[in-house]
Amino acid sequence: MTAEEAQNLYRSFVDHDPASAIQVVERVRASGVTQDALFDTLYVPAMAFLGGAWAAGEIDEMAFTQAAVVAEQVGSFVMPSAARRDTGVTLVAGTMHRDHHAIGRTIVVATLKEAGYRVNDLGDDVRPSDFLERIEQTGARIVLVFAEMMATARAVVRVREMLLANGRDDVVVLVGGGPFVADAALARDVGANGVIGGAESALKLVARAARDLAASAEDGS
Amino acid sequence: MTAAASMTIATAEDLARRGVVGAAVAACHEALAIDDRDARVHALIAHLMLEGDFYDEAIAAATRAIETDPDCSPAYLALGLAYDRRGGMWDQSVLVWHELAEVEPDLVTAHVQLGEAFAAAAFEEEALESWQRALELDPTEARATYNLAIASLKREGMALALPLFRKAGELDPSQDELFFALAGAAEDVPPPADPAEVGPTREVRCAAALASLRAEDLFGAADFVRLVLDEDADDAEALALAAYAYLKQQAYNEAMACSLKALSVAPTLPTALYSLGVVYARRPGLDRHAARVFITLARQAGAHALVHVLLAESLLGLQRYEQAGKAYRSAVRLDPACVRARFGLAAAHLTAGRHAEAQWEISRAAYYDTKRQGLFWRLYDAYAAGGERP
Amino acid sequence: MSDERTPSAVPADASGPASPDVGGAAISASEAQATAPAASPAPRSNPRFPVGVDYHPIDAERASAVEWYEADTAADVAAISRTHLSLVRLFVSWPALEPQVGQYDHDAEDRLADLLEAVRARQMKAIVCFFADDRLAEMNDVPWGRKRDLRTDDYLLQREIALVQRIVNRFRTESAVWAWELGNEAFFAGFTREEDLEAWAQAMREAIREVDTARAIVFGAGVETLVRECGVDARGVRDGFEYGVSRVTAPYRAYAAEGPLTYGPATYLDSFVLRAGGTAVPTIADGIGVHALDVSVAEEAAYTRVALYSALMNGAAGAVLRRWRDVETERREPYFRDPYEVLVGLNDTAGQPKPVRTEAARFARTVAHFDLRRYERVPERAAVLVPAERYEPLPSLAGLYDPRSCLQAYIAAKEAHLPVDLVREGEDLDGLMTVIVPSAGTLLAATWSALAAFVRSGGSLVLSYGGGDADPAVRELFGVEFLGDQGVRRTLACRVAQPGLVGDLAAFDAQLDLPHYAALGSSGATVVATDATGSPLLTVHQYGQGRTVFLAAPLERAIAQSDPWAAPDAVRHMLRTIYGAIASAAGAGPVIDCDQPQVEVAVWNGETADVVMALSHAAEDLTATLTADRVVASVTDITGGAVVDVGAKAFGVPLGPNGAAALRIVYR
Repeated sequence: MTAEEAQNLYRSFVDHDPASAIQVVERVRASGVTQDALFDTLYVPAMAFLGGAWAAGEIDEMAFTQAAVVAEQVGSFVMPSAARRDTGVTLVAGTMHRDHHAIGRTIVVATLKEAGYRVNDLGDDVRPSDFLERIEQTGARIVLVFAEMMATARAVVRVREMLLANGRDDVVVLVGGGPFVADAALARDVGANGVIGGAESALKLVARAARDLAASAEDGS
Repeated sequence: MTAAASMTIATAEDLARRGVVGAAVAACHEALAIDDRDARVHALIAHLMLEGDFYDEAIAAATRAIETDPDCSPAYLALGLAYDRRGGMWDQSVLVWHELAEVEPDLVTAHVQLGEAFAAAAFEEEALESWQRALELDPTEARATYNLAIASLKREGMALALPLFRKAGELDPSQDELFFALAGAAEDVPPPADPAEVGPTREVRCAAALASLRAEDLFGAADFVRLVLDEDADDAEALALAAYAYLKQQAYNEAMACSLKALSVAPTLPTALYSLGVVYARRPGLDRHAARVFITLARQAGAHALVHVLLAESLLGLQRYEQAGKAYRSAVRLDPACVRARFGLAAAHLTAGRHAEAQWEISRAAYYDTKRQGLFWRLYDAYAAGGERP
Repeated sequence: MSDERTPSAVPADASGPASPDVGGAAISASEAQATAPAASPAPRSNPRFPVGVDYHPIDAERASAVEWYEADTAADVAAISRTHLSLVRLFVSWPALEPQVGQYDHDAEDRLADLLEAVRARQMKAIVCFFADDRLAEMNDVPWGRKRDLRTDDYLLQREIALVQRIVNRFRTESAVWAWELGNEAFFAGFTREEDLEAWAQAMREAIREVDTARAIVFGAGVETLVRECGVDARGVRDGFEYGVSRVTAPYRAYAAEGPLTYGPATYLDSFVLRAGGTAVPTIADGIGVHALDVSVAEEAAYTRVALYSALMNGAAGAVLRRWRDVETERREPYFRDPYEVLVGLNDTAGQPKPVRTEAARFARTVAHFDLRRYERVPERAAVLVPAERYEPLPSLAGLYDPRSCLQAYIAAKEAHLPVDLVREGEDLDGLMTVIVPSAGTLLAATWSALAAFVRSGGSLVLSYGGGDADPAVRELFGVEFLGDQGVRRTLACRVAQPGLVGDLAAFDAQLDLPHYAALGSSGATVVATDATGSPLLTVHQYGQGRTVFLAAPLERAIAQSDPWAAPDAVRHMLRTIYGAIASAAGAGPVIDCDQPQVEVAVWNGETADVVMALSHAAEDLTATLTADRVVASVTDITGGAVVDVGAKAFGVPLGPNGAAALRIVYR
C-alpha cells in the first residue's frame, strides 16, 4: 500500500499539486505509519521516482524543478522533528558555591535541554540552599551539581546534607567535574548517586535516573 | 652587506624554501658567521626550527631577529607560533600577536592567532573580538569560524555550535575535492574545450561531465550527463553527477531525487551517498538519516578523512558525542592536517570535559593551517623587499 | 592467539578510575581484604623502591624566602606518612641558614632538625637537598652574594662548602637522612661548561665525604634533560655519585612529547628519560607530576599513575612526586582564572588531598607488597641505540632529531612488548640480542665495527636510513647497495614481497612526510617489502650468525616530526611488527606476550612465581590478553586477595583508562 502511495505522492509532485500531496501523507499517517517513519517509507521512494522520471526524460527540467518545489512544501509533513519531544522530566543544575567553572556545566545543560529535559540552570557559584530552594519550587527530583576544584567538590556533600535535613532523600544527586571523574569514591563520599563524565554520559545517567524514579513512583502508587 | 653574505643568505633561503632543513640551517650559520646582526637570517633559523617543532630554538632565534630589527614581521610570526606550540606561554603569545597585528594590520592569521592566545588564557571576550576582526578582514576565514563554533559550544552548547561548524565546513574547499576523489576524477584533466568533440561513449561523457563539474561549469556538465542518461536512464554514476551538480546549485530536492534514484540502482555508490548525505545533513531533523548514509559511505570509502568528518558532524547532531569523537579521530589519523577534523575533535573532547585535549587539537589545527598557508614566506619576502636594514 | 580459553583474571570492574580499586588493584580491594592473612600487618614501604614526594619549604607566591619551612611541618609529615610515602625530599635554603656571611641562623637549623625528627618519628627517610634552584623560595640567593655566580665563584664555593659541611656534620648521625643531594635541573642548567659542572660537583661531594663517609649522595639533575637544557653532558659526573635522578621537565616535555598526557608518546616519556640517563648508577624517577595548567585533576591522577608504574616497570630505584601541596599563586594574568586547578601538588592549597594523592598512596601500598628481593626483573635483550651525534650543537640537527627518533623507536619496541633499553653509542653491547638504530645520520667508525661484530656473533640489527650518504659498512653488513637519497616523499607505500618473513606485514599507503628515502640495490639481502613502484623499503640479510634489517626511510624520525599523536596506524604497526619479529627471532622477544599494543608489560622472575605488571597507555577501557609460554595455574594480585585459577597459557586482564595491574603468576 505504501509503495502505491509513494507513487501517488510522486504524481502529486509532478502534477504540482501540493494539496493532493498532503492528502497522501495524511492517508498514510492514518494507516498507522508513524511520523518518524513517514520520511523513509513514503517520501524517499517518491523522490526516487521523481529522480527516475527526470533521468528517463519523462519530465523536463522545468517540471523537475517545479516538482521539487512541491516536494519542499510537503517536506515539513514527513520530516522527523528536529526538536526532541518534552520528556516532562525536570532537573536542577548548577556549579557549586565558590566555583566559577562554567564550560562543562553549560555543555551538559544545553545537551539535556536539547534532548527535551526541563533544566533549571542556576549557573555557577550556587549555594546548597539555592539548590534546595529550586528543587522545592519546581518539584525536580534530579539535581546535577558540578565542581572542578577539590574543595568545591568535597563541599557537594552539603547539598546532600541539606536535602536530607529537609526530608528530600528522594532526590537523585548527580555530580560532574574532574575531581569526581578522577575518584569515584569522592562521589560516594559526598552522597552522589552517579558521576556525569560528560554530555553524553549525562544523557544516559539522567535517562536512567528518570526511569528509576518513574518506576518507583509506579511501585508506590 | 658583502657579496659573500648575500650569496650565503640566498642559498639559505633557497634551501629553506625547498625544505632541505639541515643544509639550510648550516647555510644560515655560515651567514651568521659573516654577519650575526642580520634579522632575516635569524628569522630564517626561527622558521626552520619551527618547521621541525623545536620551539625553544625557534623562540631564541626569533627573539634575536626582533632584537636586531623590531619591524621584522616574519620573526613575530615565528615567535608567536613557537610560543603557542610550546604551551604555557599565553601571555607572551598575546603580546607577540598584538605586535604582529600592528606591524601587519591586514594579516588575518594574526587576528585568528591572537584570538586563540586569548582563549587559551581564558579571555573569552577578547578572543571573540579578535576572531570577528579576522572575519571582517576575510569572511571566508574558516579557522576563525571554527573558533567561534568552539566558543559557542563553551557558552551555549552544541545546538548553536553545530551550525557554525557546518558553516565553517562549507568554507572548506576540500569537501568538493572529496567528491572528485570519490568519483575517481584525475586532477589535471581540463574540461572539454568543445563539447561537440567529446566522444560518444558513456565513459568519455562521464569523464567530461566530471571535468566540467571540477571547472564549475555546471551547465556543461548537465549536458554531458543528459547525453549519458538518454542512452541509459538507470546509469547510477551519471545520476550521481547530476545530483552533485544540483547540490552545487543548492537545489537540494533535485539533488536528493537524483541521488536516491542512483542509489536505487547502485545502493553503495560513493558519489551518490556523498550527495545524499550532504543534503540530509543540511536538513533539520535528518541527522539520523545523514549518519546512516555517511556510515555506509565510510564503509565504501573509509580511506578519505573527510568522510569520517561528515559522519562525525551528523553524529554530533544526534548527541552521539563519543561516537563522533571516534569518527573524528579516524579522520585525524588519516589526515593529521585536517583542520575541520581537529576542531570537531576538540568539540567532542569538550563535551566530555577533556579541556586539555581540546586545546591540543585546536593548537594542532593552527599548526597545520599556518603551515598550509605558507605565511612565513609571504611575510619574509615582503620584509626582504622592504629594503636593507639600516 | 591460540584457541585456548582466555579466562579473565580479574573482575570486570576491578580497574580504571571509575572504580575505587583503580590502578594497582587488579583484584578488588574488598576481595583482597577478605582473604588477607590477619596476622601479618601489611608492609608500609619497600626499601628497594622508596616512594616519596618533594616537600617544598614555601607553597605560596606571596610568602617570602625567610618563611622557609615555617608552616606546620609536623602535620604535613604525618599526612605524608598516612599517604604511605616513605621518602621526603627536604630543601636546604642557603639564605635562611646563613643570612649573614659566616653567621648561621640557629633557629633555622633547629627547624630542619625538628623536621628530620618528625620524619624519623614516622619511620620515614629524607633526602636533604642542597642548592636546588626554586623560583619561589630563592634558596640559593644569599643577599651578601653580590651577584657572584655560585657555580664558579671561588669565594662563594668556599661558603657553599662551609654550609654543606656544617649541615652534614650536624645531621650525620641522624638516621632519618637517607641521602644528601646536590642541586636540581634549574641549578645545573646554569652551567655552560662540563668542566665547571664537574669541578663544582666534585668539590661539594668531597665536602660531604669529609664529614660523612657512609651516606649516599644523589646527583640532583637528570642527565638527559640537562643535555637538552644547557648542552652539558653530565653523565661522567653523575656516575661518580651513588644515585642519580631522572625528571621530565616542562621544557623537555615541550621538546619531546608536547601533547595529550594520558595516551600516546607523553605516557612513555618518563620511562624513556629514565632509561636515557643510563643505568651506571641507580636512578630515582623524580619530579613525577604534570606541568600544564589546563589538565584536569582526573587527567593529573591518570598521568601520575602511568608515570609511577612506568618507573617501577623500567628499573627505577624509587619514585618521587613533584610536590606535596599546590602553590597558592597570585591572581595574575593569565592565571587569575586558573581553569582547572592544577598547580601540581598532591594536595590543594588548603592541604586537602587531590585524586593524585590517592593514586600515590595506592601505588605506594602496591609497591610495599612487592618483595623485590625475591624477584629479578627480566633483563632487556633489545636496545635502541642513541647515536653520539645527538651531542652535536647547531647547526647539526642531530641533537634535535635523534632523541625524538629514539623515543619513537622506544615506543614501537614497547608496543611490540619487547623488554627494551636504551644504549648510548660507544657503550658495550654485551648481553643484548637486538639493537635498533633509528634514523641516525651518522655513526662513528668504531660503532660500525662493533655492530658488525655484534651481528656476526648472532645479534640482530635493525637500522633505518637517516639521510645523507650511507656508510660504506652498510653494503657488507646489510647486503644492500646504496644508490643515493631519493629525497622527500609525502606518502609511505608498502608492498610485501616476502609475506611472513619479517612478521605479519601488510600492504598499505599512508600519508607520512618522509624526509629521505634511500635508493637501494640488492647486494645479497632479501627484499621483504617495497614501495608502490618496487623500490626496496625493507630488506633482511643474514650476516655471520646474525641478521640485519635495513629500512629505506627514517620512519622513526618521520613519525616524530609529523604528528606522533596521529601517526598512521599502518606505519606504527609496521614498525612494531619489524622490531617484534626480529627481536623475537633473536631471543630478545617478550617473555609474556600481549595482544594490546598500548599495554606495557613487565615481568619479574621469582623462584616459585613470577610477577607481571600490565600498564595501559590508553585513555580508554580495554582488556589485555596476556600469553605465557607455559600454562598458568593461577593469578593473584600482589597486594593479596583471592587466587584466580587460570589453567591456560592466556588470561585476560581488564584495565581501565591508564589502568595498571600487578599480578603474581604461578605456573602449572
